[in-house]
Amino acid sequence: MDIQYLNEHLGPRYIGHFAVVLAFFAAILSTGSYFMATQTRGEVLRSRNWQRLGQLSFLAHGAAVFTVIGCIFYAMLNQYYEYQYVTAHVDGELQQRYIFSAFWEGQEGSFLLWMFWHVMLGYVLMVVARSWEKPVMAVLCSVQVVIVSMLLGVHFGFGDALIKLGSNPMLLLRETVNAPIFQQADYVELLRGNGLNPSLQNYWMTIHPPTLFLGFASTVVPFAYAVAGLWTGRHREWLDPALRWSLFSAGILGIGILMGAAWAYEALNFGGYWAWDPVENTSLVPWLMLVAGIHTNLISRATGQGIRATYLFYLFTFVLIVYSTFLTRSGVLGDTSVHAFTEMGLETQLLFFLAFYFFLSLGLMIWRWGSIPVPEREEATTSREFWMFIGSLTLFMSVVLILGATSLPVYNEIREWINPAFDGLTLTEPEAHHNRFQIWIGIFIGLMSGVAQYLRWRERNFGNYFGKFALRTGIAIAGAGLLTALTLLWIQAPSIAYKLLVFAGWFAIWTNLDYLLFFVRKDTRVAGSVISHVGFGFMLIGIMASAGNKRIISQNQFLMEGLTEDEQLARSTVRLYQNVPLGMEDYVVNFTGDTIEGLNRRYFMDYKRVDKSGRPVEEFQLAPNVLYDKGFEKIAITNPSTKHYWNKDIFTVIMGLPPEEQSVKIRQETEDSLQYRVLPLNVGERATFRDTVPVPQRNSSVIYTYGIELTDFSRLPAHPEYTPEPGDIGLSAAVHAERTGGIGAHDTTATVALILRDGLLYHYPAQLNDMSLRVKIDESVFEQLLVRDSDLNYQEYTVEPGSTVTVGDQTLTFERFVSQPQVEHFQPQDEDIWVSALLTTPDGQSMQPVFLIRGKQPSGVRDEITSLGLYAHLVSINPNTNEATLRIAQRDPGTRLSIPLAVAPRSYRTDYITLQAIEFPASTCFGLVPSR
Amino acid sequence: MKKSYLLAILLVIVAVVLFWQTGNATSEYADFARAAETGNRVQLVGTYVKDKPTVYDPLTDPNYFSFYLEDLAGAEREVVLLMGKPQDFEMSESIVLTGRMQNERFIASDIQLKCPSKYKDEEAMIKNLTES
Repeated sequence: MDIQYLNEHLGPRYIGHFAVVLAFFAAILSTGSYFMATQTRGEVLRSRNWQRLGQLSFLAHGAAVFTVIGCIFYAMLNQYYEYQYVTAHVDGELQQRYIFSAFWEGQEGSFLLWMFWHVMLGYVLMVVARSWEKPVMAVLCSVQVVIVSMLLGVHFGFGDALIKLGSNPMLLLRETVNAPIFQQADYVELLRGNGLNPSLQNYWMTIHPPTLFLGFASTVVPFAYAVAGLWTGRHREWLDPALRWSLFSAGILGIGILMGAAWAYEALNFGGYWAWDPVENTSLVPWLMLVAGIHTNLISRATGQGIRATYLFYLFTFVLIVYSTFLTRSGVLGDTSVHAFTEMGLETQLLFFLAFYFFLSLGLMIWRWGSIPVPEREEATTSREFWMFIGSLTLFMSVVLILGATSLPVYNEIREWINPAFDGLTLTEPEAHHNRFQIWIGIFIGLMSGVAQYLRWRERNFGNYFGKFALRTGIAIAGAGLLTALTLLWIQAPSIAYKLLVFAGWFAIWTNLDYLLFFVRKDTRVAGSVISHVGFGFMLIGIMASAGNKRIISQNQFLMEGLTEDEQLARSTVRLYQNVPLGMEDYVVNFTGDTIEGLNRRYFMDYKRVDKSGRPVEEFQLAPNVLYDKGFEKIAITNPSTKHYWNKDIFTVIMGLPPEEQSVKIRQETEDSLQYRVLPLNVGERATFRDTVPVPQRNSSVIYTYGIELTDFSRLPAHPEYTPEPGDIGLSAAVHAERTGGIGAHDTTATVALILRDGLLYHYPAQLNDMSLRVKIDESVFEQLLVRDSDLNYQEYTVEPGSTVTVGDQTLTFERFVSQPQVEHFQPQDEDIWVSALLTTPDGQSMQPVFLIRGKQPSGVRDEITSLGLYAHLVSINPNTNEATLRIAQRDPGTRLSIPLAVAPRSYRTDYITLQAIEFPASTCFGLVPSR
Repeated sequence: MKKSYLLAILLVIVAVVLFWQTGNATSEYADFARAAETGNRVQLVGTYVKDKPTVYDPLTDPNYFSFYLEDLAGAEREVVLLMGKPQDFEMSESIVLTGRMQNERFIASDIQLKCPSKYKDEEAMIKNLTES
């Protein structure tokens, strides 16, 4: 059955589909053309023609990629929810500034971001690469072919097997899922978006992914140069342009990684900036490899040594990028990482991607190994190149170690594939494990980056130079030692390794600055290397300062026996009651209140730092927040709030709310589970009851006696949280409650209210936390407020306008008929015919019972003068005599309303939060962390 | 033989030694029986037993969350997690704990939840998307 769907916007879909296919084939054509241009590079004319074709098709490819991105943005900005990518990442509440974040939240969007950068880099290369353009672009285009294929969304039948090539971002929702809703032609009207994950709605998500992906994307350029060098056999010439691109790439990727660390620290409650999470590791590892490559590249440029190593490092940097893509996007890491993507059915394709470039690199190296020039003369052990090479190898070792540990899930998958009974290995304590090795590598690299600066290229005569070298190194050791001692006075190092780390950091800073002062006159380019090494030195100190010195302010107040010190330290959450200040370490913290704005709930904590005698030294406020999920069904994310100082940060994050505050569902369930008893009370009346509460974990119970008094009530509801609206019916009451029994007596007053608005009841209960008592007005009060007709004793009167009737002790005048009156107790609909009879009392009160014909059926609407106890219906109208037939009743208005108060003992406190507060020292080493 | 080759071989040896160390730092996911045997800190996978008592009362102790876990071997034990109850705990498909056995209880200082994808169920997804 074909359904003609209404209101679908299929334009972007057709254009987008076409553009994806165009991008794919243009990339293939471009790869082929550049390949041929390289192969025929001996014949100038033929080669140039191929090159032209390659350029044109790459331009077309780029345009197609931009078109795909444009189509998705167009659909997202217009909120075309028939597109699955739009429903998955956008909703009506999404602010425009997060539209980019929403775009690259999904796998397809991030692939497109990656391709976007490749296209931009390709355009730049077409202008600047000159003689290298042909082979370099051939490689870059081939990568584009592979990535576009991830977005093709084409299915092949291959014998029995169905091969799925890519996942198309332009698919309609009804093409991806099968649901009854798509039987409706107008389903588009019914769809809403899912929206951007609240934890990603911050500025980090706007700036971190594009930077990181530019870093990722740019590693393809050194890779392409390496392939080009091997391919064309120009083993020395590629080193220069490759170095420039590698420096760019390492810079951007490094910034991207640091941003990720800053995000983790600043906005997410990871309680630190680096957790050796697999996803973090897989972006660090290619960077380390690239940095190793840059150093061997410098060596080979200066001395001709180490060209093979440079090739290998650059080739495998890119392979590692692909490997990290495979790890994070294939779902392999699902178990071990907090932020890996979930499976998308691209595993095979990603694996092919990986295998292709791995074997391509390996094959090229084997093919050309013999022809790569190696100088006859060996480097001296006292030369700069020798120690730089050792440094590169150390970085490589760091890569191997991190990669090995991070790849455990892959190893497990393979073992499980061979032997399904295999359970899978895991690092027991990944952070401790990584730190154990990487600290020493950090120390070694820190020292090396200093010493190597003092050594000379191609050292032939170290004997003559030794004195100078020893002097400078000696001064540097002394200076770094002094600075280390000073640093350790200020922050304590947890172990000897961390002390050495500080020393290595200062040593790197000292030596590099010394080198800069000495050399900058001769060659200004050394400044770049010095700045990065000094930065590295500061990072080492920063790592030690923050890793070894976080102080948990929110020490647990409860003792639990038989725990180890580490386990005791893990118990770092404290509970704070509202307006009950709590002393934690050298702070007094008071939770003063909270505000809700949309889904964002912000809590205010007043911090007071006190000195030893308890005098306040300083006061400040922190406001951590929680974000609710849509519909307030759970907490989507908690965000810390941090007070920054030059030398430390006070970090505070909400760990939990009372269950009833976490979710409306739990609140409803809890409310339903409470055992309310209803006490009908008149003003001034008091009722008592008893409640027996078992004491947890003891064989006894406490008997509490509660006394509840209704001190006042009002038909005009007043409650601090209630804002009146026209048409509300309700009342409020003042209650005085007391409890005796147990340890102490409590005595409290509270205001409760109950409102009927548009047919819905709104309770404003009071939770009396000191006596675990919840009080509200029972809904049965409305039975008293709204008198039923069957309870009234009606009399019928047939009267003309102007005449009076006597009902009980009241005299009513039937003034006149009012045609189509606007009255509060009746809302007319279209095509209604209605008339009222205006009845007045001598003291000026009135009522207007309504006679109504709706759909040819006569009916009526009652009106009342509540204070006099008068109720009236207009039963019929006689058009001939102009007489009205009225039914009027009176009852004793003096019946005092008794207010049914519903009270539930053993209700749960709602005026507390649990929070964690940590002092991190020296975060300013990461000066790029902005404060919020 | 060049010095750099010698050094490379040296590094390979160091790397192998370190790798062997890494091997020691890993372990298979344990079960309660093995955790009780060794008494060491282990990682353990299991599923939450919904019909046994689950205690978390932040008013009594915000760092004490107790529940029952069934390990892969089918044994059920009480687990005491030394922190608050994590979000979405009830929804978890499987739970990875780091900790040790103490008497009959497993004292866990770290927890990782594996939650089912939000939209495993297409009907639930459509329902969610059409609710305003």
